[in-house]
Amino acid sequence: MYPPKLEAIISLFESLPEVERRETLVSYADNAKKQEPRPGEKFTLEDIRKDEECADTVGVYLQVDDEGKAHFRMTLGPEVQTLTRAMTAILCKGLDGRTPQEVLELPGDFVTRIVGAELVRVRSQTIYYVLTRIKGICKVYLDRQRMAEVA
Amino acid sequence: MTTSPTEYVHPEALVDADWIEKHQNDNDVRIIESNEDILLYDTGHIPGAVHIDWRTDLQDQVIRDYIAPDKFAELCSRNGISPQTTCVFYGDKANWWACYALWAFRLFGHERVKILNGGRDKWKAEGRTMTREVPKYPRTDYPVPAKRFDKEIRAFADEALAQSKAGKPLIDVRSPGEFKGEITHMAEYPQEGVLRGGHIPGAKSMPWKTATNDDSTFKPASELAKIYFDQCGLKPGTDTVVYCRIGERSSHTWFVLTYLLGLENVRNYDGSWTEWGNKVGAPIERS
Repeated sequence: MYPPKLEAIISLFESLPEVERRETLVSYADNAKKQEPRPGEKFTLEDIRKDEECADTVGVYLQVDDEGKAHFRMTLGPEVQTLTRAMTAILCKGLDGRTPQEVLELPGDFVTRIVGAELVRVRSQTIYYVLTRIKGICKVYLDRQRMAEVA
Repeated sequence: MTTSPTEYVHPEALVDADWIEKHQNDNDVRIIESNEDILLYDTGHIPGAVHIDWRTDLQDQVIRDYIAPDKFAELCSRNGISPQTTCVFYGDKANWWACYALWAFRLFGHERVKILNGGRDKWKAEGRTMTREVPKYPRTDYPVPAKRFDKEIRAFADEALAQSKAGKPLIDVRSPGEFKGEITHMAEYPQEGVLRGGHIPGAKSMPWKTATNDDSTFKPASELAKIYFDQCGLKPGTDTVVYCRIGERSSHTWFVLTYLLGLENVRNYDGSWTEWGNKVGAPIERS
């Protein structure tokens, strides 16, 4: 149902007691900076903006390789919450190598399985924001592909 | 009290980072971090600080209300807090949740409370020491408070309505867009389930942020007096009710009015707009 890399991450989190789940989320959040674009990397699409739904600017960078597989990079402003940072690292890793169409069709119900019901609550809903943005850039990519085919 | 004080009425309620560094190991002092970002404490905090979560530690997990007095006693006991402990609160978002936690401690009658001026942001910006080590303190036996001081510092919806009908001071500390009913959520935040926009009739708009400087510290007493006495028309001795969306931003203003300006009859309507904006038949003004 989920991409294998993401399924592995979900399984890991589901196996953890609450304290270790939090520690692992913080560890992923610490790694969010590693998801930033590296010097010389080229992208198929870039979407950098500040939305009302998130506390700071978030940049999503999509590269679709010759085999049609998607690779993501992301930049996060300093005000972005820890859980959102964690989800950034998780999704960049878990969705790497899937097609944009597969990413677009991904159901969002895995988020609570990773984060745990305890942490999904008022003032933490932006955990879904990163997934929405990643799906958003995939949709733009697919729309442009279809338009190009029609033209 | 004068209407243009040059000093805070309760300056002892504010401490700075130097004070923390000098007193953080005192047995009768407990540093408490309280944040909106629920994992922020885990990423690093002031050495020796304990974490109090505004929802899981302070709120009842079923009913929308605060914990019962015995749960508060347990919370304090497991964090090594006694009634004689001075609790110094700090956190993210310019101390929204620190003020909320302080207000909740006052609900249970804990008197010895302070705020770290500038909160977590200023501490971090100054390059002060932070750690991920979670401290352990010897358990105390905090007595179960005899009552919760709801009547004194908390307002419920019917009391906010009575305040409105009586033309008594109501301060809406949300953003101007929320006050006018143009938006039903804070800018930069998702919708939190409010069906109607606007404000309680008669309320004056004074966003919480008006009371702070850019570094999240509180403005001087003279400037606060101009804001709340001159612009809002508040007067010593008059009942005042403050509100926002869920009671955290209004806790910040409650702290300013109660401790920094010394007003004695300020209550926080913590049900705030997430209650009022959903309440069937509740009167609403838009302007």
